[in-house]
Amino acid sequence: MRRPVLLSIVIGAVLIAAVDLAVGQQPAPAAVPSRGGVQTFDQPLPEALSPRNASYDITVRLDPVRKEIKGRETIRWRNISAATSNELQFHLYWNAWRNDDSTWLRESRLRAQAPARPRDVVRRPEETGASDVTSIKVTPAGGVAADLTAAIRYLAPDDGNGADRTVMAVTLPDTVGPAATVQIEIEWTGRIPFAAARTGWIGDYFFFGQWFPKIGVLEDGGWNTHQFHNATEFYADFGVYNVQMTVPGGYTLGATGREMRRVDNADGTTTHSYHADDVADFGWTTSPSFVEERRAFNHPKLPSVEMRLLLRPEHRGQETRQFAAAAAALEYYGQWFGAYPYGNITIVDPADQSNSDGMEYPMIFTGRANWLSPASVATPDLTITHETGHQWWYGVVATNEFENGWMDEGFNTWATARVIEETRRSNLMAVRTFGGFIPYALNVPLSREVDGNRMPAYRPDAKSDAQTTPTFRYWPRSANAITYAKTALWMHTLERHLGWPTMQKVMATYFDRWKFRHPRPQDFFQVVNEVSGQDLTSFFDQVVRTSNTFDYAVQELKQEPLSQGRTRAVVVAQRLGEATFPVDVVTTFADGQQATEHWDGKDRRVIYAYERPARVTRVEIDPGQVLLLDINRTNNSRTTQPRAAEAARKWSLAWMVWLQELMITSGIFG
Amino acid sequence: MVVASWIGGWRRVTQASLMALGLHGLTFLLALPFAMLVRDQIAEQLGSSLAAGAVADGVNNDWWREFTAQATGLGATFTPSIIGFASTLDAVSRVLDARYPPTALMWLLGGYLALWTFLSGGVLDRFARQRPTRAHGFFSASGRLFFRLARLTALGGLIYWFLFAYVHPWLFLDLWRDLTRGLGIERTAFFWRLLFYVIFGVVLLKLNLVFDYARIRLVVEDRRSALGALRASLRFLWHHPLDVTALYAIDGAGFVMLLALWSVAAPGVYGTGLAMWLAFAAGQLYLLARLAIKLHFLASQTALFQAHLAHASYTAVPAPAWPESPAAELIPR
Repeated sequence: MRRPVLLSIVIGAVLIAAVDLAVGQQPAPAAVPSRGGVQTFDQPLPEALSPRNASYDITVRLDPVRKEIKGRETIRWRNISAATSNELQFHLYWNAWRNDDSTWLRESRLRAQAPARPRDVVRRPEETGASDVTSIKVTPAGGVAADLTAAIRYLAPDDGNGADRTVMAVTLPDTVGPAATVQIEIEWTGRIPFAAARTGWIGDYFFFGQWFPKIGVLEDGGWNTHQFHNATEFYADFGVYNVQMTVPGGYTLGATGREMRRVDNADGTTTHSYHADDVADFGWTTSPSFVEERRAFNHPKLPSVEMRLLLRPEHRGQETRQFAAAAAALEYYGQWFGAYPYGNITIVDPADQSNSDGMEYPMIFTGRANWLSPASVATPDLTITHETGHQWWYGVVATNEFENGWMDEGFNTWATARVIEETRRSNLMAVRTFGGFIPYALNVPLSREVDGNRMPAYRPDAKSDAQTTPTFRYWPRSANAITYAKTALWMHTLERHLGWPTMQKVMATYFDRWKFRHPRPQDFFQVVNEVSGQDLTSFFDQVVRTSNTFDYAVQELKQEPLSQGRTRAVVVAQRLGEATFPVDVVTTFADGQQATEHWDGKDRRVIYAYERPARVTRVEIDPGQVLLLDINRTNNSRTTQPRAAEAARKWSLAWMVWLQELMITSGIFG
Repeated sequence: MVVASWIGGWRRVTQASLMALGLHGLTFLLALPFAMLVRDQIAEQLGSSLAAGAVADGVNNDWWREFTAQATGLGATFTPSIIGFASTLDAVSRVLDARYPPTALMWLLGGYLALWTFLSGGVLDRFARQRPTRAHGFFSASGRLFFRLARLTALGGLIYWFLFAYVHPWLFLDLWRDLTRGLGIERTAFFWRLLFYVIFGVVLLKLNLVFDYARIRLVVEDRRSALGALRASLRFLWHHPLDVTALYAIDGAGFVMLLALWSVAAPGVYGTGLAMWLAFAAGQLYLLARLAIKLHFLASQTALFQAHLAHASYTAVPAPAWPESPAAELIPR
């Protein structure tokens, strides 16, 4: 019995020494301000947080000159659905830039507002992107490997577009039943697209999103693998990722997970090994220009998080601001919804014109910064807070963004606006002139209700799509309005309707119940009803299942004097939109008295008559601004002392000065 | 000679201060009916709403967003860019970025340019003579010179159109975009753009100079041919490049100083009542100063041109007399 023990001790010692040596090759980590607990970053998670049914070991090498990657991956996939499948499906999204007829590019052209100039839409040969699988072998549990390379075919489940190669499938020799596992080995070559949508290269900057062959999600009803669309991006199962990325020496690299090892190779390259548990995707970036900064997020009630910032040199001086914006999300989302479950996060400051700004991946995301960013304006803060927030809504609660994009982007827009309201002392409007490079901050405060929730984007496109339509089918030009803005507006409406404590409890319950899973809309509705103790089905019918708009107005206010100084007043409130919501109609009288009517908002109009000793001075519908989806709030009130003339005079005089200046400036041509 | 022309220019502008006020009054009167239309649109949209209170007392961006979403025509130009110094930045940026105003305003600006073409004959005549010409003299010169100046303006219009329709897109949409296509550094992209602004701006200012001196020679020398005036202008610029450029630079410095002052003094957001009228008055004072500087460009250039002639106050046409013909005035009807 002693020999095995001794042997174990020797093996253990050798392993410890080997790990120690490997770790010793890493550069000393930058100093992290410590306030206790920071050293727990690298402690292994006690148990799997997610099903871990799609795990990847990836080895990839970047050729920055040829703009290519060569990769090899082993996917260990387990069927966690009730379905049996005889095929496997994969995303190959870089093929969206393989030719001009991909579904992504077709939708992208539809999305363009102005007629595009040919030179702006034509991609030069060196700017195209592609993913070519050169080998695929599948090994069932206990079986032998089958080379299925010759069986590769491409599917277009969403639109039948034969030119689209963003979904690859292979037919299996044997079916894969529930709980069965397979091991898939893939070798592929990737041509990195030039500054494409949220992935690609520009100059010496590389951002890798949607970059590896990623298995689709097998659900009880079959494979849920969508083509790459212009307005949607993600849906994948959770797993463990071990990724080795080889890049030229001197390049700084950031990725999902934590760097475990860094080896300088004889050929002048460096291999970075990253490991991540319980994530549904993997993104990375590399550039020799990054300036690296680290800070710690510490909070008495939340686990510490090591924040790493990869900053562009031209944005030096914005470090504090960028860290603060990420920390704001870690703090408020952490307190409101649930703690950030990973020990570290990387903020990437993307290269200008890279089109990779505002992009989220587990434990890594890109912000959006400008060279000139007045302190009073919420750029880059807003984007960084928003993308950090995606760690909750997308990263941990991994909804199907292809079909229900509003469940991550919309929830996150609502929550971001809430954080910005909590944290920013000033949030002013900026006018950007001279090609958009020069900002000029105006003393015009932006509100959470309208700008934070993006009402200006929603208003013109309010009727374009119902949210029950799968997101990838939204009209491309207005997809963001429905996904981001409409959801933020109805979530804020729900927050005001239920009250923040209840709403916070709803979201915390939803997060806790559905973390590391794939909730559907019904799952969210169920949590709301359960936690609030109300049946809000009719509300969700209004806001999710139709494209109807809300618009309540004061139609009439009539008053006539009666005897003994009394006045008869008739107030008519009207519903102009097709959607309905209960609203308060508050009538204020000259003696300060108020009459509050709770109108269910269903009829076309409602009439309230009063006989009081004082005249009505004002009528307001929804004075507490609960219904933030009301597309026209100006008509929600009426006063007997209108100031429209004053306001119009003031602003028309300001406009007149603007016009005169335009005339004098145009005088240079005469 | 340059400094003397610069000082002389100011003397001529101050001597004709009534004319400057009149020209300012013209922009005022032209803008007023359009401002009233915008006022009506705002008032109609606000109606009897309580929102008007916040709009009157300060700024309410939530309402503003709602208004612009519904506004059409002139109302669509009522954006936060009109506030304070943003208005100036917007006006200059519009020229350099070739952002055209809405169609409704294009007609107004076209009309303003036509009117300015008519009046510029009288303005230059007044500056050249350096003595009051009274209203009849001013308008007589304006009328006499109008068609010649109009031909010059039409020629200028063609060249400016070519500049904005072809040269600007070539510079900023083709060349600048190609240069910065693979560039990941915003600051460098801006510096390239700045260089292109300088190139485009220099071309624009050079053209401006050519046409300014063409107008001056046309008026001072009573030239009939617009093309001849252009050739004469080019000859003058060719023979006196330093003087002309130095004077333009000093005049330009005055313009930049005014903008710098306005960037500090421009009223931002204010309430109604006295604050509103004070802000409006400040705006009008600034516009008057802009106009005075614009006139000073013409006056100092006229002074420089005349200084290079044998007789510094030379004008080819004698001062108009009133009544024009005593015999005609004697006819009772």
